[in-house]
Amino acid sequence: MAHPKDTLRNKACIVGIGSTEFTRNAGRSEIHLAVDAAMGACADAGIQSEEIDGCVRFGSAGAAPVEFATESDVARCLGIPNLRYFVEAPWGGGACCATIMHAAAAVTLGLAKYVLCFRAIRAASGTVRYGRPTTIPMDSHWSMTMPYGFQSPTSWVAMFTKRWMYETGATREQLGAVAIVSRENAVRNPRAMFYGRPLTMEEYLSSGMMCDPFTLHDTCLENDGSVALIVTSADRAKDLKQKPAYITGVGEGTGWDSYCMTSFYRPEIGIPEMEETGKDLFAMADMKPSDIQVAQLYDAFTSLVPMQLEALGFVKKGEGGAFCEGGDRIRPTGQLPINTAGGMLSEAYIHGMNGIAEGVRQIRGTATTQIKGAERVLVTGGLGVPTSALILTKGK
Amino acid sequence: MALQLNRRYVQYFFEPVAESFEEGFWEAVKRRELVFQRCGKCREWMHPPRPMCYKCKSFDLRWEKSTGKGKIYSYVTFTREVNPLYVVPFEVVLVEMDDEKPVRMIANMLDTTPEELYIGMPVELDFYDVSEKHTIPIFKKRKA
Repeated sequence: MAHPKDTLRNKACIVGIGSTEFTRNAGRSEIHLAVDAAMGACADAGIQSEEIDGCVRFGSAGAAPVEFATESDVARCLGIPNLRYFVEAPWGGGACCATIMHAAAAVTLGLAKYVLCFRAIRAASGTVRYGRPTTIPMDSHWSMTMPYGFQSPTSWVAMFTKRWMYETGATREQLGAVAIVSRENAVRNPRAMFYGRPLTMEEYLSSGMMCDPFTLHDTCLENDGSVALIVTSADRAKDLKQKPAYITGVGEGTGWDSYCMTSFYRPEIGIPEMEETGKDLFAMADMKPSDIQVAQLYDAFTSLVPMQLEALGFVKKGEGGAFCEGGDRIRPTGQLPINTAGGMLSEAYIHGMNGIAEGVRQIRGTATTQIKGAERVLVTGGLGVPTSALILTKGK
Repeated sequence: MALQLNRRYVQYFFEPVAESFEEGFWEAVKRRELVFQRCGKCREWMHPPRPMCYKCKSFDLRWEKSTGKGKIYSYVTFTREVNPLYVVPFEVVLVEMDDEKPVRMIANMLDTTPEELYIGMPVELDFYDVSEKHTIPIFKKRKA
């Protein structure tokens, strides 16, 4: 059987990245934000918006819609004569790298030439606030959690984080190191919500508990903004404006017995979806974790960073917390620099699409916290939901 | 401090909704009974409910009564209000059932402080009336 290592590896590239400002109130709709980011991505790639003929947008999380700007809305505004390929990637932040998987497959199979992947979100000023119970979809499985007042993403991730801390002995100081390193990176990034505003361990530890073991500093930002990416075939990428970021590995995974953020009935609660995704990802890329030089790990919550280090095989099970201790191993000069733009804890919460854009900048050599000689970059999607991940490289 | 509701906000209670294969769970709760799905063929326990036994693919799924005994597998304490119906602090527990393994379920605690909780703590079942219309399962400390 054909393997993506042979059929998809290095066949497609991210050639354009675009972004709006990240803000508490963008003062315009999701469609407007998506168009701004898409036009930015076209200019970055050096293509006309009319050349886009494919689109991947975020889909639903169960019964709840995630993306309010549809592919038709965006195509209409961009003057695209016809979209010949369009698809949705579901499950909120879990979808981010999956958009690139669909786009890479489409351009490789010739279903489209230029595929736009985007996310436009008004998590701060809009009607859907991910931290609030009013946003919760009504799929029946929520009846097993919601009647107990168990109604926030923070609490759902806290539940499996608590168990992980119990099993591994991870500490709040180790989680604090993740928050602090992300913030240090954001301090150097003028786009970041926390640009120029550092965080100390003292501030982290004295911040009020939201839902044990999480304080405000363990949870991601709520903001408005949009990020758009353009994918095309490796052949076309060679003639465009930017150095292409090759899609060397990409994958999705649900893991066993998956629910939306409330997968509490598995043999081990945690993030097996990323273990499964990681196996496929590294197999397609023909790499191992030690080949990765910098990682943009989905960090809606601090604990997801050390948990992913374990799930992806960077460290042994139970050693993720210790790896993050003190922060030096995950700093720009460390063994595995992470979230170099500040991540979702400190740059912006664009459901992981900003992590992909940062991965592309690392490959191009244009990041605000540039890792010298970065040629192999990992990006991951949201956890506690079906997820996805991506390895970007400079090609051969 | 255990579950305490501010009933001025009882309209914010999330009324359980159920697919056809889930209704038995909530019907039993109304009778103050805790039941889980069990396969009539391979005898596997399952929760949350599903239409078919994932193991042996049988559709002969039955509702069988739980002994209501379990241990805390994980837990969280809400210290910041998310829904005004639920007075903070309150605990949400993930309980692994002793006699219906591998079943786990989410619920609240009736009689504990957050400081008392620990992973592995033995608990037993009770029921809690949210309103005249709605009841939820709840756990309390179990004496060894």
